[in-house]
Amino acid sequence: MQEPSKGWPRAETASEHAACHFCDSLQKVVSLEEGKDAHCSVCGGEMYENRKQSLQRTISFSLSALLLMVLVIIFPFLSLNRSGLKSSMTVWEAATSLWEQGDQMISVATAVFIVFLPSLLILSLLYVTIPLSLGKSLPGMVAIFRVVSMLKPWAMVEVFFLGALVSLLKLVKLADIAIGVGFWAFALLMISMVGALGSVNYFEYWDRIEAVRERMRKETFS
Amino acid sequence: MKKNAVPIALEENLAACHVCDRVQDVALHHCQRCGAKVHARKPESIQRCLALLAASIIAYIPANVFPIMEVTQLGDTESSTILSGVASFWRIKAYPIAITIFVASVLIPGLKLLALGVLCATAVGKVEMSPKRANHIYWLTELVGRWSMVDVFVVAILVGLVNFEGIMSITAGPAAVAFAVMVILTMLAAHAFDPKLVWDRMRKEAKV
Repeated sequence: MQEPSKGWPRAETASEHAACHFCDSLQKVVSLEEGKDAHCSVCGGEMYENRKQSLQRTISFSLSALLLMVLVIIFPFLSLNRSGLKSSMTVWEAATSLWEQGDQMISVATAVFIVFLPSLLILSLLYVTIPLSLGKSLPGMVAIFRVVSMLKPWAMVEVFFLGALVSLLKLVKLADIAIGVGFWAFALLMISMVGALGSVNYFEYWDRIEAVRERMRKETFS
Repeated sequence: MKKNAVPIALEENLAACHVCDRVQDVALHHCQRCGAKVHARKPESIQRCLALLAASIIAYIPANVFPIMEVTQLGDTESSTILSGVASFWRIKAYPIAITIFVASVLIPGLKLLALGVLCATAVGKVEMSPKRANHIYWLTELVGRWSMVDVFVVAILVGLVNFEGIMSITAGPAAVAFAVMVILTMLAAHAFDPKLVWDRMRKEAKV
């Protein structure tokens, strides 16, 4: 039976056991209080976690990330001024200027890891999390969440930010640098992305998706 | 088998889905929850990991030997490799940044290649290591992999920003592509490795 105050909803067909990712030991799934995590009794590896207000946090961080992504694309990231010559670029232009100079591979990598994948992840998270928080399911939810689980390591917003800090230090000696709105938006985007993805415990999400779909199926048939 | 031992999914003919973690009968070809293919272990884990590893080692060499970017200033072109970039930061006493670049671009990729190689060797029984230590190494390898991309992004930013026709411009060097390829390949290699194989090996040896 499910306890509403503890853990998260699980489907009746949900597996009673979980297997450790590292050592494959079978462990009974227990309901956790918010903020607690479950570890494997054999190897100590973390199995799942009940993160605090996971759905609400994911939704709010994702919404702010979405807005910030728009700002990041529109506004200049950094501007340079070298004895009267000015140059400024947005994150998007970092990718396009590489393309124009013939470095298609790096251009595509930048665009994909910094703009496309993070945007896709945010939109997918919203598509899954908003209905989940309302106890509903939407078509394609499973496929979309599979994409989220698989693509998560490839969004590299925070790595790009570290790259931006290194670039700033390299540029200091060359010219006057101005930090643009896009830069600050990017810093906040990084925090929002980490917050949104960090609130998702995949074990919990898959359980919730399974439970919602089971309930919807029952409602349709009864 | 010992009494009170925790059952192993594989021995019960169960498998956790690689995508959604649902535990189910291995005989089911597709996961009952997310539809992904069900395998007890990642298929051809060691071969895939080693093949990707070999490819990343090949890319690691040009990534460190060739220039990662070329700075053209008033007709003079100066190219810099990753290591010469680290050295120039070191010379101007920007130690934290020199260390950051060195760790992210040279040390982490190198250690990661080594770590995955050792993990594969452990899984096939060529190297003795406690499985718990193998877990930690694997966990770290997966965690830090993406940070090596930092130098590629530095190049992307500098190329996009510094483009003063005829006076000064920065272009990407051949190492940038090699570097990006190397990071992507090592991430794929880490993903292909199945840490459960190390435990399988240990259990098999304990039984013999």
